[in-house]
Amino acid sequence: MVFEKVCEILSEQFGVDAGSLNMDTAFIEDLGADSLDVVELMMSIEEEFDVGEITEEEAAGIKTIGDLVRRIGEDD
Amino acid sequence: MKLIIDAMSGDNAPEAIVSGCVMAAREFGQEYILVGKEDVIRDLLKKENAEDLPISIHPAADVIDMHDDPATAVRRKKDSSMSAALYLLRDGGGDAVISAGNTGALLSGATLVDKRIKGIRRAALPTALPCKGGRVLLLDSGANAECTPEYLLQFAYMGSFYMEKVMGVKNPRVGLVNNGAEDTKGDTLRKETYQMLQQAAAEGRINFVGNVEGSDVPKGACDVAVADGFTGNVMLKTVEGVASFLMGELKNIFLQNTRTKFAYLLLKPAMGGLKKLLSASEVGGAPFLGISKPVFKAHGSSDARAIRSAVKQAMAYVDADVVGEIERNIDHMTL
Repeated sequence: MVFEKVCEILSEQFGVDAGSLNMDTAFIEDLGADSLDVVELMMSIEEEFDVGEITEEEAAGIKTIGDLVRRIGEDD
Repeated sequence: MKLIIDAMSGDNAPEAIVSGCVMAAREFGQEYILVGKEDVIRDLLKKENAEDLPISIHPAADVIDMHDDPATAVRRKKDSSMSAALYLLRDGGGDAVISAGNTGALLSGATLVDKRIKGIRRAALPTALPCKGGRVLLLDSGANAECTPEYLLQFAYMGSFYMEKVMGVKNPRVGLVNNGAEDTKGDTLRKETYQMLQQAAAEGRINFVGNVEGSDVPKGACDVAVADGFTGNVMLKTVEGVASFLMGELKNIFLQNTRTKFAYLLLKPAMGGLKKLLSASEVGGAPFLGISKPVFKAHGSSDARAIRSAVKQAMAYVDADVVGEIERNIDHMTL
């Protein structure tokens, strides 16, 4: 499942419990992500899923786990 | 050992970088890969009569400069010398990367390409400052402006491993940079960090000596000075500014009259020692602690000697296996 895999990546990157994450969790507001965290996350997603390069413009519009799951192409 | 050197980044690149690499190859042996514009590097190696040395070239057409956005530079400029060097390291093409380029871009690039050690929240940039009795490792000296207590706990461990394994300091004393020595001093970040460091000390994992004030650090109160990147950077720049101011004042005093000029001649050897102590060229560089592979930041204004010194430091860092030491202790370093 895409959602679970995304949560696993976020859990490792931000040191948070995967169980505390949901589709509305926002990277900046809820996880305290900075610009480097966002780029790191997008690169991890590109490596994990076959989604091609997520451009900076696209990344700017991906603010929550839900946004990211939808971008990967599978609505949980 | 194979050292990967970003030949195109830095104020004096590529001349000083290539020259420093040649100096290191002659003095330390080892293999080197210079990353950057092939024809430019080849010409410089020819000028240095270094064609027979074990130095190869890895071509990269672009350069990341000081105007590039740190967080995205390596991703945007994949064919830059810095990016190519970091990818080469990731893919096993060498044992360490040395670059005198944009600090933020190198740290971001190292984090994105070579990755942090699993469990490490943020890589730190340490600086070895001169102090009474030797050197003190200040970390973080500017990479992470905002920190949590866990980041600072990790900086304390990583700085301690570095000082012990690379700089040869036995049981390094760890101090927390604060606005007072008493354990009640500081804001929430400092107070929470203090408790964690004290706990780590009680378990015998680090030698925490308590809070240290800014003025205690140059006096040699600790071997590792732990700070958030904002505080650390202000402290570093203040120390550099005061050192430069005092050296300028000393010079003015010596130039006052014939007697003082004569006094300078008598003191010249000792003054050389002081200058050497304060010189960035002698230390050369510092690793980003917490990155899963050795990535060394050399001073932006590095001359050939500074690059040679950075190579020496990088070799010691690889040999000491600081990355492995951090990995082995990661369970104690995370909350």
